[in-house]
Amino acid sequence: MKYSFFPGCSLESTARDFGMSVHAVAKALAIELEEIPDWTCCGSTPAHATDAVLAAALPARNLLAAEKAGRDVVVCCASCYGRLASANYELAKDEKLRSEVASIIGQEYSGGLKVRHLLEVLIKDVGTSEIRDLVVRPLKGLKVACYYGCLLTRPPELSIADEPEDPRLMEELLEAVGAETIEWPYKTECCGASFSITRVETVKRLCSEILKMADESGANCIAVACPLCQTNLDLRQLDIEEKFNLPVFYFTQLLGLALGLSNEKLGIGKLMTDPTKVLQFC
Amino acid sequence: MSSRIIENKVDIDYLQKLDPSGEFRLTACLQCARCSSGCTMREETDFLPHQLNRMAILGLEKELMGSKAIWMCVSCQTCFSRCPMQVNTPAMIDKLRGMALDAPGELKRVKIFNDVMLSSIKRFGRTYDFMLMAIYKLRSGDLFTDLTKLPAMLRKGKFNLFPPRTAGRKSVRGIFNRVFGRREQR
Ligand code: SF4
Ligand code: SF4
Repeated sequence: MKYSFFPGCSLESTARDFGMSVHAVAKALAIELEEIPDWTCCGSTPAHATDAVLAAALPARNLLAAEKAGRDVVVCCASCYGRLASANYELAKDEKLRSEVASIIGQEYSGGLKVRHLLEVLIKDVGTSEIRDLVVRPLKGLKVACYYGCLLTRPPELSIADEPEDPRLMEELLEAVGAETIEWPYKTECCGASFSITRVETVKRLCSEILKMADESGANCIAVACPLCQTNLDLRQLDIEEKFNLPVFYFTQLLGLALGLSNEKLGIGKLMTDPTKVLQFC
Repeated sequence: MSSRIIENKVDIDYLQKLDPSGEFRLTACLQCARCSSGCTMREETDFLPHQLNRMAILGLEKELMGSKAIWMCVSCQTCFSRCPMQVNTPAMIDKLRGMALDAPGELKRVKIFNDVMLSSIKRFGRTYDFMLMAIYKLRSGDLFTDLTKLPAMLRKGKFNLFPPRTAGRKSVRGIFNRVFGRREQR
């Protein structure tokens, strides 16, 4: 299985552990992720909050670079996923935007590629039974609150899950590798990601509500698929008065542990909330 | 109240300016407030999504431009996803942010952050967190928030100390120049 891969800026800086675990897991599952040549930033929130054409042109430049290979584009960062998928969708249906963007980047992109999130690729293309067969260290004792945040399932047209208000992809994956997943109502609430630097008080409020709900629902750790969610939920635990001690893993880190990959390869040591206590069970 | 409703007519001119192709579907809004009941920022903001939509229809430009709400929105898309009429409030908010020159009060930081991040993308083709934070902190005057976390983050290799290098940066600069060149012409 081979895909074009858009890492996005954060997988190479604040979410380096996400990047490391994505590559380690892909290798273990024989998924080839070929980096889009010369990829550049998707523009994230600042671009769409500033100009609609800019917000479509920055992803379009990357999609054009991927077009030659003609493969599905895999994205891991939820924010990049949102930007690329939304530009792809808009450009396919909005002729005016398409020609405006074409005149900005000097080439027309038709929106013909598929933009997909790694989680969906793991469930739909690889399959949980295939993954289950490769487990060497079942994640027994882990009670995981799967947290999707806002960008993976909204708006519904771009959702990676068929049921946007109650996605189950991460649950399926982690249950296949032996973890227990909990039922909780906040899996698609927003952590306030785009304000993590500008409005810390807001982010603290939103994150403490999410952490509290996960804790009360019986989780002993959280799994995420977004660098911004991870940073907010993990780092802000230091600021919130109530102490939760819920390690916040990337779903790829948990998958990697089950596949027998080392902590170093998966960047487990980069988590702020110490996961050793939770991991000693499995 | 009733006379106010009668006085307040749909402002076609303003709607034309805000949403020339009608893609935000503002006039389809039922005022059912389903959007607002799930809004992530409902506790902190001055106007809720359904109110912003009504303000837009009535052409209350000044109120919209000066609202905290357009800068408070975290773009979580909950309102849009749950709307029975597919009214695209987040897209309207983005447009309003692009039209408003500045955010009120403390919310200026949101605008400063957006601008600083865009200039990093324009310069390097990718975001360069370390410099972005430094410049943001200087420009916003918000020097000390999160400073205590810096050592641990550096130790854990969460920041790149050196700027990203990508051959794509030249074409990204071109994209920025053309987009903003056009905005000025308009
Ligand atoms: S949910 Fe939709 S129709 Fe209802 S008030 Fe909000 S925007 Fe209007
Ligand atoms: S997108 Fe903005 S307005 Fe809509 S629910 Fe989220 S925070 Fe509220």
